Order: sequence, then C-alpha cells, then structure tokens
Amino acid sequence: MQVADDFDDAIRLLRDYSGADADLAGVILEVVRVTGASVSTMGFLAEETISASDRSVARLDEAQFDLGEGPCWDAVSTGAPVSLPDLRAAPARWPALEAMLRSEPIGAVHAFPMLVGSLAMGALDLYHVEPYELDDVETRQAAAIAEVLGRHVLRRALVRVVDREPPRDDSPFSRRIVHQATGFVVGQLGVSVDEATLLIQGMAFSTDRSMREVGQDILNGSRRFEVRENMIEDER
Amino acid sequence: MTAARDEALFDAFASLADTLVTGYDVVDLLQLLVETCQRTLDVAEAGLLLADTSGDLELVTSTSESTALVETIQLSAESGPCIESFQTGEPVAVPDLAGVGTEAWRGFRDAALAQGFASVYAIPLRLRTEVIGTLNLFGRRVDGLAARDVRAAQALADVATIGILHERSFRASDLLRQQLQLALNSRVVIEQAKGVLAHQHGVTPELAFQLLRRYARNNQLQLADVAVRVVHRTLLF
Repeated sequence: MQVADDFDDAIRLLRDYSGADADLAGVILEVVRVTGASVSTMGFLAEETISASDRSVARLDEAQFDLGEGPCWDAVSTGAPVSLPDLRAAPARWPALEAMLRSEPIGAVHAFPMLVGSLAMGALDLYHVEPYELDDVETRQAAAIAEVLGRHVLRRALVRVVDREPPRDDSPFSRRIVHQATGFVVGQLGVSVDEATLLIQGMAFSTDRSMREVGQDILNGSRRFEVRENMIEDER
Repeated sequence: MTAARDEALFDAFASLADTLVTGYDVVDLLQLLVETCQRTLDVAEAGLLLADTSGDLELVTSTSESTALVETIQLSAESGPCIESFQTGEPVAVPDLAGVGTEAWRGFRDAALAQGFASVYAIPLRLRTEVIGTLNLFGRRVDGLAARDVRAAQALADVATIGILHERSFRASDLLRQQLQLALNSRVVIEQAKGVLAHQHGVTPELAFQLLRRYARNNQLQLADVAVRVVHRTLLF
C-alpha cells in the first residue's frame, strides 16, 4: 500500500492514483485521524462502495444504500458536507438508519460529497467510535480529498465505458447481486426496474436483512415473489 | 400610447419576467405573450408560430382557435408577412391590407380581409442571428399599430424568445447528462438484464451473460443497448 505522510502527499497521490481502489480509505486515514473511512460512488454514478477501512464503515454505507437515506445521501443531494459529531445524542434524523446502526460502534459520522462541477459522483464517509468533531483544518482537508476522489471515480467510470467489456467484479462490496435480482424480479413479475427495486428494498427492511442477502435468496430460488389476486406476495 | 396602456405593458413585462425566473411551461409563456399583445396593444387577434425541426413554421398558440383565423395565419406562413419576417429576421408591417398588390400574397390578403382585418404586423422571434418563429398581430383598423406599439411587441417577443431558447438548451443539456449517466452506469443495466434472462431461461447469471453477449454480437449491437431493451421488455430472446 502506498503511504502518504501528510495532506499534500495524500492529495498528490490521489490526484494521479494508480493503486488499488481498496487501498483508498487507508490513504485518507493517514491524513484524517478518525477510526474509519469509506469511499462510495452514488448520485451521478451507481451506488457502490469502492473502499472501506473496516466492516463498520462498510455496513454504514450499505445501510444507507439499502434505505436510501442518511448523511451520504444528504451530502450528495445538497453538495455540502454533513456532520454528525455525536450520533447518539443527536435527535433521530434517520430513524431507520440509526436503528440499523445501533449495534455498530459508531459515535460520529462526517460525510463529504465528491463533486465534479455541480454533479456529485459519490461521498467520502468518515466515522469515529467516540463522538468527534472535525476541526476547521480537518474539515477543509477532507473536503479537498473528497473533491480529488470525485475526479478519480469519474475517470474510473469513463475507463470502464471505453473498455466496453464489464471488468471482473470481485469487490467484496459489489452490489451486482442486487442488480441481477432486480432483473430477475422484473422477469418474474413483469414490473419495472424501479418497482422491482422497491420490492427488494421493502423485503430487506421488513426482514432485517441487507438487499444483497435478499438478492442472493431471490437468485438461488429460495425466495420468490408471486402475484396472487393482484397482490404481490413472497413465497419462501 | 396612454399612461394606462404603459402601465398595462409594464405589468405584462413584469409577469413575463417573473414567469422566466420562477420556472415555466413554454406553452403557457407563449399564451401569456399573445394575450398580452391583444390586451395592451391595439390588435384584434394574435398568433405565434415556431419553426419545427425541419424549419417549417407551425402555429403554436393564438388568441382564438377559430378555423378562419388559423387558416389565415397558415396562409401567411406559406406566402405572406409571416414567412417574410421569419426569413428576413425583420418586422414586416402591412398597415393597409387592402392596398397589398403582391400577387403571391393574394390568398392571405383575401382571407384576412374576409375576417374584417385591415392591418397586419409580423414580428420576428429572434436572438442575434437565430430566428425561431414569428408573432403575428391583426388589427381592425388601417394603421392599426403605431411605431411605438411595434417596438413594444418586439420587446415582448424578445422576452419570449429568451424563454424558449433557455428551455431548449436546458432540455438539451439535461438529455446529454442523462445519456452520459446511462453510459457510465451501463454495468448496472447489464447486471439487471442478466437477471431478466436468468429468470426467463432458467439459467445462471453467468450463462445469461453469454446469451446477452451472443445476441449483441450477432446483431452488431452494443451490449448496453441490448441490456436496456431486455430490461424494458422491448426485446425478447
């Protein structure tokens, strides 16, 4: 892994980043001294975590993808950072998300939009086990890193288009299974992609599982939807 | 022009400008324009034409839907002040319709006179060198519009032109943005298409991908384009 000594090194490294995407979070943690960091595409680009320093921050991002709410989404839609220096003391802004994260050791969350012009390519998520407030310098540095990351993920997406053939997708955070299951439900019920996504999302929420887990069940046939008297039911 | 009409014209500008700032529907904006002309200028009827993609003028909105008026405006768009204003980008004034001797304009002149119009004015919808349509004003009296009224009509038309061009460029850039987004996220729709085919053929997603790729190759189509059609159920194989 490439190691950056300080902020300037990190920016230089990220501007021209050629390392493994999985190592991005580590580079960021060299600069911003929080417990964990993750880099996810969302907004203009499809939702996908491309680097997460630990399981908790990966779970934080996945929960936000599955629920469609949370600090990342707000950062992406407003184009401004969203800071929750004390997650447990704060009044519930995202009840479902907070309930889902209750078992995770997360005290503070700071989300920074990865903007290219006015378009948000994704979000940089920082978390700390204890409540933690970023000072002005850390906030500015994280925002600058997020901006460089925005260009990196856009370049990455463009290269994939030019390459034509989809690359091997062996990321541990891949949401391929959700997309495939969505198509499966489209074929099964003749509904639209949006409707199929909502069905999977609703089932994940009501059974307290992730959309990737539900997607896996749909694809291996252990769970399927059936239309019965105009009602969509799931059959186990 | 009286003070009351100046006031009405000022209000009309204010509401047109307000429409542009707060978001608008182009058809509403144009309807507001022709009605404003009818109300504040000395005109009996007004109609607005925009060029379609092939450059032909089409009547978009008018103060009346009467067949006679619509036909008259169409005649003007074929051979009359309307088409002349559109082609030259300049206002065309016909203060006395009865005196028009141009043979080519005869059809238009007779139709307009038959409806009791005595004068007609065509105002171009123009921004710099681009002419996108014309505004047509019909008066009951000879010399229906004073020079100052023609200038007011041109100013109203200019505001509408900016509104139309703004909306068009916004729509174009939005379409471009959507196309780019679809291209960058083509992996998602390919995965979805694999799911559709996996269900349809009872195969694994890996095999479904082979089916998708084979179809695209055999038909010399982009993988992502085939995937979009599979997911939208407009292509079955």
